[in-house]
Amino acid sequence: MKVAVIGYAVSNLEWDAEKTREETVFEVAKSALENAGVSREDVGTVISASTDFLDGRTISNCMLIGGSGAYLKDESKAEEDGMYAALYAAQRLMAGVHDIALAVSHTHSWIFNPHQVSQYMLEPWFDRQNDLINGITLAALQARMYMEKHGVDELDLAEVCVKNLRNAAKVPYALRKLHDITVEEILESEMFSDPLTELMIAPPCDGAAAVVLASENVAEEICENPVWIKGIGNSCDNYLRDRDLAKLNSLEIAARKAYRMAGIEEPFREIDVAEITERFAHQELMAYEALSFCREGKGRVLIEEEMTEVYGDMPVNPSGGALAGDPICATGMIRLIEAAKQIRGEAENQVDGCRTALAHAQWGLCAQKNLVFILGDEP
Amino acid sequence: MRNVAIIGCGQAKHGRRTDVNQAELVAEAVWAAVEDAGIAPEDIEAYAVGNMQGFGGIAQPDLVFADYIGAAGKPMQRVATGGTVGGSVAHLGYYEVASGMYDVVLAVSWEKHSDSAEPGATTGLLHVAYANLSYMMKVGMDMRSFAIMGLAGAAAGISAYQAAFYMARSGCGIEHFDMVAAKARRNAAKNKYAHLKWPNCTADDIAKTEMLIWPMRFGHVCPASDGASCVIYASEEAVKKLGVEKPVAWVKGVAAYADEEADQGEAYQGTAVVDYSDQTGAILSAMKAYERAGIKDPKKEIDVAEIYAPFPHQELMFSERLGFFDDGTAWKAVEEGVTEIDGDFPICPSGGVNATNAIGSSGMQRVVEAALQIMGKAEEHQVPKDVRNAVAHAWGGQVQFNTVMVLGDSPKR
Amino acid sequence: MGVVRYEGLPFVARFRWNTGKIMEKFYGGFAERQILAAKCENCGYTVVPPRVICPKCSSKMNENNLVKLDGRGVVLSYTVVRKKLDGKGGFVTLDKPEVIAAVKLNGADSMIFAKIGDVDVEDIKSGMEVVPVWAEKPEGRLSDLLYFRPG
Repeated sequence: MKVAVIGYAVSNLEWDAEKTREETVFEVAKSALENAGVSREDVGTVISASTDFLDGRTISNCMLIGGSGAYLKDESKAEEDGMYAALYAAQRLMAGVHDIALAVSHTHSWIFNPHQVSQYMLEPWFDRQNDLINGITLAALQARMYMEKHGVDELDLAEVCVKNLRNAAKVPYALRKLHDITVEEILESEMFSDPLTELMIAPPCDGAAAVVLASENVAEEICENPVWIKGIGNSCDNYLRDRDLAKLNSLEIAARKAYRMAGIEEPFREIDVAEITERFAHQELMAYEALSFCREGKGRVLIEEEMTEVYGDMPVNPSGGALAGDPICATGMIRLIEAAKQIRGEAENQVDGCRTALAHAQWGLCAQKNLVFILGDEP
Repeated sequence: MRNVAIIGCGQAKHGRRTDVNQAELVAEAVWAAVEDAGIAPEDIEAYAVGNMQGFGGIAQPDLVFADYIGAAGKPMQRVATGGTVGGSVAHLGYYEVASGMYDVVLAVSWEKHSDSAEPGATTGLLHVAYANLSYMMKVGMDMRSFAIMGLAGAAAGISAYQAAFYMARSGCGIEHFDMVAAKARRNAAKNKYAHLKWPNCTADDIAKTEMLIWPMRFGHVCPASDGASCVIYASEEAVKKLGVEKPVAWVKGVAAYADEEADQGEAYQGTAVVDYSDQTGAILSAMKAYERAGIKDPKKEIDVAEIYAPFPHQELMFSERLGFFDDGTAWKAVEEGVTEIDGDFPICPSGGVNATNAIGSSGMQRVVEAALQIMGKAEEHQVPKDVRNAVAHAWGGQVQFNTVMVLGDSPKR
Repeated sequence: MGVVRYEGLPFVARFRWNTGKIMEKFYGGFAERQILAAKCENCGYTVVPPRVICPKCSSKMNENNLVKLDGRGVVLSYTVVRKKLDGKGGFVTLDKPEVIAAVKLNGADSMIFAKIGDVDVEDIKSGMEVVPVWAEKPEGRLSDLLYFRPG
């Protein structure tokens, strides 16, 4: 059974949102249904994405049943990125149980610092007893390991930020829109944990996203331009201590699976645009390699030669990526939405003639877990 | 729709497990299931996992121990829906196979209460509450209202109201709760994985325990256990390919329809469900699961049920909501011994959640126990009658989520 | 509207994690200034801290798999931490930056993350050899291992 994205919505990404989580989720769920041209009655199943620690309440979806439209619907909650909610929703459609699914995701980062939650993700018997270890310091260790292995320098990392933050300037909902940002400004922003400066770290923020999925039974009837999910790859790596941090091994596995399912043999040539979740600047370069856009260690060449700019041969993150705003659980789902927008020709930084797009979500410390979707304009 | 079977089950020994850490506890159930299924770890293509993160104090604990359960390098999906989570993980694992994406999937859920420094579930509930409190303060909520709401909001508080509602509706008395709780302890004594065991426990024994919050006595309340439960799913083709010859349990229908939350309401406005014993979501979930399973008369076609009932009134209430008894009559069936292991309609022969409650594990344990009854492997608590169809149920959230899974001894045709 | 965060909450929520028997041996080794690892008999992978399942081949391990490491290690990567988390969600700017490193101990295949002390932040390099610095009177607790220093 094939599944298509038929509608979507993204909220404004902001800090210290005045709206409640329930309101934000209600708004994206409603707009996504409107965008898809369906009503709540048409929806068979609803999958939400949020996590208890980030939401600061146990069973974080308890109060979202009304807002997400899941009241008296076949419902569940993925406790990770929204793209995993979309995956579960797609699986429910593929199983033939339902025809239309709604997946919603949100995080209001102001409620509790997600970087603090990254510390709670550590194994508590050893690593968590060291108060210096958290998501940022671990990412810094990963960055240095990768950079020293492949001769990448801070300038390359800053170039990634410049590209993404400039792209974001045109995206209405983005948080960090810095059209005139320079490499120097990136490097001179506040140092957190070297080599990572403030602007190399995706800014946690408040936001929500929603997508409507439909099975092939109904997608073309409802929607003029459904965006088809052609490939799915998902993989989880070992815990930190037993991983090669200099490589995104699980992303490589996930990408390979997704490519095989979609029949893609030469990703660089066949994929028109990629929307990836880079929580830290170096992870975008690492992702180029794991996604086989270039050989291992050559990620910096892509950025140095401007190949991943909107006008380049392999545009990556024309929406600005996670560096432009990171509403944790919604970040990957926004990548999915942006990839779908590119195929529909609705993106702010539209890549010409886009027919095949890649969307990527990550979860866990140093991107332990990765999920890749390949989207296309026909089934 | 693809036919999917449970080919292996595993449980950790439930109870107060201070001898192991969270990863070791989960590994215990996982490797027991792999052994039970008789497959190689390489045969497992994907994982479904979940618990309530706050109780064990680790955010996304499955990422810490992916490589304790053989998941490294493989797809792993996580769900969490409160007390329902075990049921939700079971559903997720089922859908992973039913979608056609994978052929063999391992689903595991667990809870480790004893890692809390404070008693029972207190630490877990409060730990994740830190952040939300700042939210409540922002919207101007007074700490006193929080305390009142907190007391009412914890599972036992909600359940006391729910029990009272149910008593008023059905006409049952506290003595019926005593009977149900005594049955749970007695059955648990026959289950080697259970926590609170009390051979030959009688309703009078329970009636002698202290009244906590009317109408709930100490003897009615479930323990806070540590534990993990696991099942392995395979598609019909994979069952053949793997050469599984032992009896398996076929998943015939699943559904999980959510109701609005009790108690607090949307954004704490108090616009929620008033009668917590109403359980429209449970009725709908059961109806849809039966429809998908091709069950027309649950009273006749279902042979045994594992209901998620941390408190005894819930066993009565849900057995009506799931369509096993007419509204308001479950307590009469209990009086007549219908729900005993050797009764006409055995309910919770394992002792159920009332005797063993490792929250995340509990929903999955219902699925495991229902599958064991179908496979004829429940040992001492195997029901004596033929089991062709069994129901596994879980509830969670603020008594608003319900998962129902119908298992059968043959695939759906 | 000002944002108030967890000041004056009317409760504490603490954990006391059970660590499992093999981790208890690991802490116990600290009393003798010793770092214990577990070596998998099936695939030969050596993991520190020790554990009951091999992270590479999923073989079961137990106390019989414990091996002693000499404690020396090599810095695989490091970072100079200028801002750390206060445990409640706030960032604290450190007056004196601290160094944390990914260290591969001799004889182990996995790595650990550890503080590096007795070193000028300018001098730290990947590939640098480090040795543990122990508490004066180790008692078999995690806090016995103070940090690593070049050596």
